[in-house]
Amino acid sequence: MRDTSVTRASTAVELTIATPEGVLFRLPLAGPACRLYAMLFDIVIVLATVNGIGLLVYWIFAKAPGFGVMMVGLAEFAIGFAYSALLEGFWNGQTIGKRLFHLRVIDEAGLPLRIEQAWVRNLMRVFDALPFAYLVGGISVLSSPLMQRFGDRVAGTLVIRQTPLSIPGEESWTRQKYNSFMEYPTIAAHLRRAAIPELASLIQDALRRRNQLAPYARREIYRELAAYLQSEVSIFPDELLERLSDEQYLINASGILFGDQRPSRVQS
Amino acid sequence: MILNLERFQAQAKPRWQNLELLLGALESRPDRRLNPAEAHQLQELYAHVAVDLNRVTHGALAPDLRQYLERLVARGYAELYYAPPRRSEMWQPRRWLRIFTAFPETFRRQSRYFGVAILITLLGCAFGGLAVRYDPAAVDVLLPADYLRNPDQRVHDEEQGGARRSKSVQTEAAFSGQLIRHNIQVALLTAALGVTFGIGTALLLFENGVLLGAVAVHYTQRGFGLFMTAWLLPHGVFEIPSILIAGQAGFYLARLLLHRSEDRNVRQRMREWLVLVAGLAMMLVWAGIMEAFFSQHHAPVLPYGFKVAIATAELVLLILYLLLMGQRNIDASALSSVPSENR
Repeated sequence: MRDTSVTRASTAVELTIATPEGVLFRLPLAGPACRLYAMLFDIVIVLATVNGIGLLVYWIFAKAPGFGVMMVGLAEFAIGFAYSALLEGFWNGQTIGKRLFHLRVIDEAGLPLRIEQAWVRNLMRVFDALPFAYLVGGISVLSSPLMQRFGDRVAGTLVIRQTPLSIPGEESWTRQKYNSFMEYPTIAAHLRRAAIPELASLIQDALRRRNQLAPYARREIYRELAAYLQSEVSIFPDELLERLSDEQYLINASGILFGDQRPSRVQS
Repeated sequence: MILNLERFQAQAKPRWQNLELLLGALESRPDRRLNPAEAHQLQELYAHVAVDLNRVTHGALAPDLRQYLERLVARGYAELYYAPPRRSEMWQPRRWLRIFTAFPETFRRQSRYFGVAILITLLGCAFGGLAVRYDPAAVDVLLPADYLRNPDQRVHDEEQGGARRSKSVQTEAAFSGQLIRHNIQVALLTAALGVTFGIGTALLLFENGVLLGAVAVHYTQRGFGLFMTAWLLPHGVFEIPSILIAGQAGFYLARLLLHRSEDRNVRQRMREWLVLVAGLAMMLVWAGIMEAFFSQHHAPVLPYGFKVAIATAELVLLILYLLLMGQRNIDASALSSVPSENR
């Protein structure tokens, strides 16, 4: 019923899930590097906790240091496993390190993981950590299409990247008051009809990244895009072009494509 | 045809924000339960946002917006299709105590894997014992540690040392902590090596058997049979079975992975593995305490006969516990008929 398939893009590996409602969504998978950082951070936290508890235990068992050593040794061992398992199980698949690095553990089917899965994947660390420095787990992550270490494979879990996202803001250029393209409603309407979605999003991306592009690159890209639009999609008269920079040309085009400025409104 | 993005976004924004709020509230609950009104609201918002996502996906206009909506749909999907465990399963301490009955029940249910573990260990024992019996030179290869090779020296040290300095309780406590930790680690590895389709588990069990057989024959040949029995058995009767149970868990895991596609109730199956591991960890805690506080005391302090008697009593109790505790005759088929919740 639930189809899952894997797609491998050039920049990131992602899992595509098709829901019963016929919606497709992609989950970006976490690579080994950020998982390693998160784990190191967690190790620091565990060690700090254990040492804190250790101080307390040694103080309580001041008369019996051997029992103190025994308690601390066992506590360190137990906390090492329980820390990740309990946090992942009850805190939405995240340890403190994972939350910091925007990682999250989920079930392979895209659902929250269960407490059993959290325990299994963390107990399996004894195998993934072999022979040293998580070599087995690392090789497993790199060779697995879903970037799973052996613990993940057994428990049926995944680690995904979950950077916080907010609703993208509306672009300022779609709301400009005056758009000189509107003086030519027929051509503008043609532009709106003929531009394919890929081209439209290309224009928008180029404008959005204005400040990330080096000046000469920006000039070149805008010139090429404007020239392409002018020659292939819709031909605006030369007297208009003389007044417009390439950038303004693209801003106007984007206003026509995305904005609420319907060319027909000008006519009425 | 191109979507009017601005108008679309202005119209849909309130429901995106509502869904985000609702999801935030649900995800912060550890038990992830929702009341009927919330469920209704979630279902409705999810359906709307899924439609929004489809519109954006096919328009392919706004990668940022698409990513944002995908994230919302993914979170909504997770909440909507997840069957949370019953509350009683998590928050009642009495349920946690059920491990004491669940462990022997699981042990009996999966006893055939225990049989495999015993078989491989016995093969190892026979190999090690026969090698030492017929080829004394094999001792140097099979028994790596010096103290295992020279029983005379070791027994002398133990008996004299035990009498001379009565070991302080403190060192014994620290020693037991180390032992427990080390043993659990080895047992856990044995159980985890099931992912190598049981090959790793079998190798570890075999090696353990070889060591056991070789030491037993070697010490007996030198006439220290009684000493060794009294030295090893008080903790060995818990330690050796727990390693065997670790092997059982390993083979069980191997079988689970091999038949994963046809097995629908993976969640219940994983729980069985966890119960076995938890049970053997408890056994090893007892074994570690016995090894540090009891096994290391020898003849003048504790007569060998007494130590062997204690060991026998422990073994009888363990067997009774594993065979009789909990419900009898739990059918494996009854378990697999539990409706699958997760997949």
